[in-house]
Amino acid sequence: MAKSGIQYSKIAEIKGPLVVVDDVENAAFDELVEIQTTSGEKRLGKVLEVGNGKAVVQVFEGTTGLSISQTNAKFVGKVMEMPVSEQVLGRIFDGLGRPKDGLPDPIADKFLDINGSPMNPEQREYPRDFIQTGVSVIDGMLTLVRGQKLPIFSGSGMSHNVLAAQIARQASVVGTNDEFAVVFAAIGVQYSESEYFRRSLEESGALKRSVLFLNLADDPAIERIITPRVALTVAEYLAYEVGMHVLVILTDMTNYAEALREISAAREEVPGRKGYPGYLYTDLSTIYERAGRLRGKNGSVTQMPILSMPSDDITHPIPDLTGYITEGQIVLGRDLFRQGVYPPVNILMSLSRIMKDGIGEGRTRADHQEISNQNYDAYSRAQEVRALVGIVGKAGLTNIDLKYLDFGDTLEKEFLTQDVDENRSIDETLLLQWKAASLLPKNELTKVKDKFISMYYKSTK
Amino acid sequence: MELNKLENLLNTIITQSESELTSNLIDTLNESKEVLLKSYDSLANEYDKIINNGKKESDKLTKQIIGSAELESRNKQLAILEEYIEKVFSTVTSKLENMARENEYSKFLSSLIDESIKTLGTSDIEVSINDKDETIIKSVLTKFTTVKLASKRIACLGGIKAKSKNGAMILDNTIDARLANMKPLIRKEIATKFGVNN
Amino acid sequence: MVAKGRIIWVSGPAVKADGMSDAKMYETVSVGESKLIGEVIRLTGDVAFIQVYESTSGLKPGEPVIGTGNPLSVFLGPGIIGQIYDGIQRPLKELSKKSGSFIGRGIVTSPVDMSKKYTFVPNVNVGDEISHGSILGTVHETELIEHSIMLAPTHPGGKVTNVVKEGKYDIETEIASVDKNGQSDNIKMYHKWPVRQPRPYKKRYDPTVPLLTGQRVIDTFFPLAKGGTGSIPGAFGTGKTVTLHQIAKWADSQVVVYIGCGERGNEMTEVLVEFPKLKDPRSGKPLMDRTVLVANTSNMPVAAREASIYTGVTIAEYYRDMGKDVVLVADSTSRWAEALREMSGRLEEMPAEEGYPSYLASRLAEFYERAGRVQANGSPDRDGSVSLVGAVSPSGGDFTEPVTTHTMRFIKTFWALDAKLAYSRHYPSINWMSSYSGYLNDVAKWWSKNVSNDWFKIRGEIYGILQREDTLKEIVRLLGPEALPDEEKLILEVARMIKIGILQQNSFDNVDTYCSPTKQFKLLELLMMFYHSGIQAIKNGVSINDIRSMPVIGTLLKARMEVHDDQIEKLEQLNTEINEQFKNIKSVK
Repeated sequence: MAKSGIQYSKIAEIKGPLVVVDDVENAAFDELVEIQTTSGEKRLGKVLEVGNGKAVVQVFEGTTGLSISQTNAKFVGKVMEMPVSEQVLGRIFDGLGRPKDGLPDPIADKFLDINGSPMNPEQREYPRDFIQTGVSVIDGMLTLVRGQKLPIFSGSGMSHNVLAAQIARQASVVGTNDEFAVVFAAIGVQYSESEYFRRSLEESGALKRSVLFLNLADDPAIERIITPRVALTVAEYLAYEVGMHVLVILTDMTNYAEALREISAAREEVPGRKGYPGYLYTDLSTIYERAGRLRGKNGSVTQMPILSMPSDDITHPIPDLTGYITEGQIVLGRDLFRQGVYPPVNILMSLSRIMKDGIGEGRTRADHQEISNQNYDAYSRAQEVRALVGIVGKAGLTNIDLKYLDFGDTLEKEFLTQDVDENRSIDETLLLQWKAASLLPKNELTKVKDKFISMYYKSTK
Repeated sequence: MELNKLENLLNTIITQSESELTSNLIDTLNESKEVLLKSYDSLANEYDKIINNGKKESDKLTKQIIGSAELESRNKQLAILEEYIEKVFSTVTSKLENMARENEYSKFLSSLIDESIKTLGTSDIEVSINDKDETIIKSVLTKFTTVKLASKRIACLGGIKAKSKNGAMILDNTIDARLANMKPLIRKEIATKFGVNN
Repeated sequence: MVAKGRIIWVSGPAVKADGMSDAKMYETVSVGESKLIGEVIRLTGDVAFIQVYESTSGLKPGEPVIGTGNPLSVFLGPGIIGQIYDGIQRPLKELSKKSGSFIGRGIVTSPVDMSKKYTFVPNVNVGDEISHGSILGTVHETELIEHSIMLAPTHPGGKVTNVVKEGKYDIETEIASVDKNGQSDNIKMYHKWPVRQPRPYKKRYDPTVPLLTGQRVIDTFFPLAKGGTGSIPGAFGTGKTVTLHQIAKWADSQVVVYIGCGERGNEMTEVLVEFPKLKDPRSGKPLMDRTVLVANTSNMPVAAREASIYTGVTIAEYYRDMGKDVVLVADSTSRWAEALREMSGRLEEMPAEEGYPSYLASRLAEFYERAGRVQANGSPDRDGSVSLVGAVSPSGGDFTEPVTTHTMRFIKTFWALDAKLAYSRHYPSINWMSSYSGYLNDVAKWWSKNVSNDWFKIRGEIYGILQREDTLKEIVRLLGPEALPDEEKLILEVARMIKIGILQQNSFDNVDTYCSPTKQFKLLELLMMFYHSGIQAIKNGVSINDIRSMPVIGTLLKARMEVHDDQIEKLEQLNTEINEQFKNIKSVK
């Protein structure tokens, strides 16, 4: 993009988050724009559409207070960039990537386009390294792998941030000394939530290897379009240029999608489901697909987006489209949460797609996949039996049904449930899985090879 | 273009400030080390206190105290570096403000006008300048018959602000604007010169 | 005259340019200073509406647009197999050489290695009269593929006036000359074909041969025929991609075209990493030697997603014309439909249901119509097939949404993935009550000829048990299982065994991932035999609980994992074991 820097003062229209500039001769699609008021206030925006002498500009900080006559727009001649260097570690930025901690702008090693570029699938390295989170239900049945994108589907008020913070504190790759970093992007969340996260990182001494981007609930909504992108730009730099393993936590993606809907509505686009734009899938993928590993590079970007499902509805477009892009999902259950279970993970609805490639012999243990399949199977049967108890009572159950009931309770109480600062090793986790499975007769373990049964099955009788 | 001149000027000033800053940076570094040492002391005390409360807790505290201390000293360095960058900038600014409005400068102005005409796509423009440039601009403008001088003066270090005739387009080609654009790059250069590696 | 215009408007992948009165519909054009690749999709006056296959970030009104005179076409010749292409047939490996780990823009590359030499074996002699589509000779493309060099379908045909001797040539070499009415034409090893136009053939047959995938629930219960169409819809997490990968790995076709259309990058990587290591169960050669990948991942430009489907199907038809059976797997047609919707929205067309354009149904129909088992043009006579399998990703898992409902109109096999099954880790989560296959009767002949005369009957009986179970489940839900008589409890038990022992299949287990037709049939037979013995036992007064606790059940259910395809005799032993154990429980009484 050629340097231009022209400032245009003919504003044709201001609607919602958009400013339409007239008589524009020299603007490019996606170009960064500085909107200035005569009082000298500056806001940032970008070109959504340009042609026939008009440019449609999306203003990140909102259009409140802008007037047709008192506003002008400067086309900067480049796309939006984020200055990056190793010094961004330990820093706190706002939702557009400007310092929020009272310290100066980071001295840039590079200025990177915040939109990134699509990774060439041929150049990707397939994710294979097990990340131990110390949370049994994840390590045991929903294993997180370096370079994976595994979201947490939650509902309002549930303990998703506590879980994400615990993962951020405890995550480690067993057996290597590679450096870990955490990039945290708060997207329209409350101050208390982001502060909880910051404190949690500080208390674990992880703040110095973390970067925080905060767009809080009372910050401009349209800025949320940018927040995950600046965060990922920094993450990619740390991963591929510095060689760190970066865990990116994006919370809450629902607020992001709502900002996108607001812009789409202002552009009077034909909406898809529930008023969200038809390109929501494509747009979300430009965020989620920035997770991964690259051939010949040391680092990795692992994403854990968090989203609150409106009315706990997993078929809502935001969780639905997210689930189609991400490599699995960790679903939190309202019932378990009400019962006070932590982490309240709904095991059956949750899934880690690339778990199979990150576990097994040489990574975790040879029986890991099979025992986890068995526990899924048995837990699902236990749920059926629980439903049956509601109809016929415990008296109507067969002996084997009762055993499944026992299994389900044990799995929830001993394996699923754990303390917020309890860090379990993979061996402890597998032990608990076998402990629950051993409540069932050997004959019921149809998903586990006999050799593993003879190695790990421990009858409690 | 004449902008090289601006860069040369910057370079000279930067070199002048270099030694001053380096010594200061060393001081800061020592200071940071002290902070770190102090925190080790306090760490030892804390450690004794809580050793009975379990290893996990103490590990947590170890990480927390060392982490915060390291971060604190790093941030202190950043602040001091920034102070010196600002010092360089203010020196540059005042030098630019008081530089001689001579032949070189007249060439510089004329190149700025050329560029403005090209970027705005019209030679029908009006330029605004500061008080100091009033005399020199008149001679420059003899070459540009279509370019008018705005009656109102603006506050800036130098250079011009060009406006298309209908007023719809403005190109800020003041030294201030150019300096602001270049600032991130200049900061990087200064930091490198002071041996602060990223 | 090629069109030379100027950009007047840019919005995302959509660009308008004026001065384009010389442009043709669906012509490819070079857009802007950075020479992005685009395609004309509407002409109004001298304004062309262009969909751009690369990111338009930084594009400005005023930049040039230059026509190429050609419609979007693919290169067809040796060297395609084993490649991974983007949506417009640029090899991703070459792109990475030019732009590194991330995809750059405006890069022009050759689809295959033009300098590679192949051993050409002529198949025609000087003096032969040949028509279009005829095979001039063959080259050894990969370990698995004998590649026929054919006269392009648009060629008028004629007399062979020259043909090179057997030997090593690169694909630019003129290997033959064909003369028609004094007009001589030099033929190279490749030609180009416009992607939106189906390749012609001589005759079309009914699909009657099953496409064997080694997946029990598919082959046995809801089979696909070679040249047929199938669709696999499912909410996220139901295992669509895994099932498609299984088909791509184990289908008994000679060529597999796998289109990753708007899906995950890591999935394409997985195929790239895994396929070269996997061996074709029939030939023992690496699977990559018969596979072509077309990848437009979800974050790659949306317009190229629309093109990727056509690029893939044209390549499939090309190999079909050589007389090969080709399977094309498209994951996911929903993303393709969304790309259509996005471009339609930018064109400001009147939307139909859920914002999709009104021509969605006809585009889907056109695509699935490109499947079929055909006799190819030209000599020698040869039959080939293209089987199309399209994934559908219905929003919210709702099968009444437009892409699913329209797709169902044009396909004959429907594998409905069920989130509930997936949640209980029943994989593949193909729901046996809502799936169907229109090829069942067609392929029954093949089974009875090649596997067993009883196949159709036993399959029907097993399916009958599953249907009975479905009704009984309602009663259990209301009254509890104890309300049922023992005969019906046995149905529940056997249905459970069918689900675990047959319907479920572990794609990550070395043995279970592929199941030969014979093993499939033997497992069916064993379970049916168990059921009949069980009914008899109950009539003789044996309690259902005694049957349930028979140790052979565990062995039977693990047979899919423990018994290799070449150890069918072990299944015969199970036969005896079942009989023995039924005898024993009787004698206890």
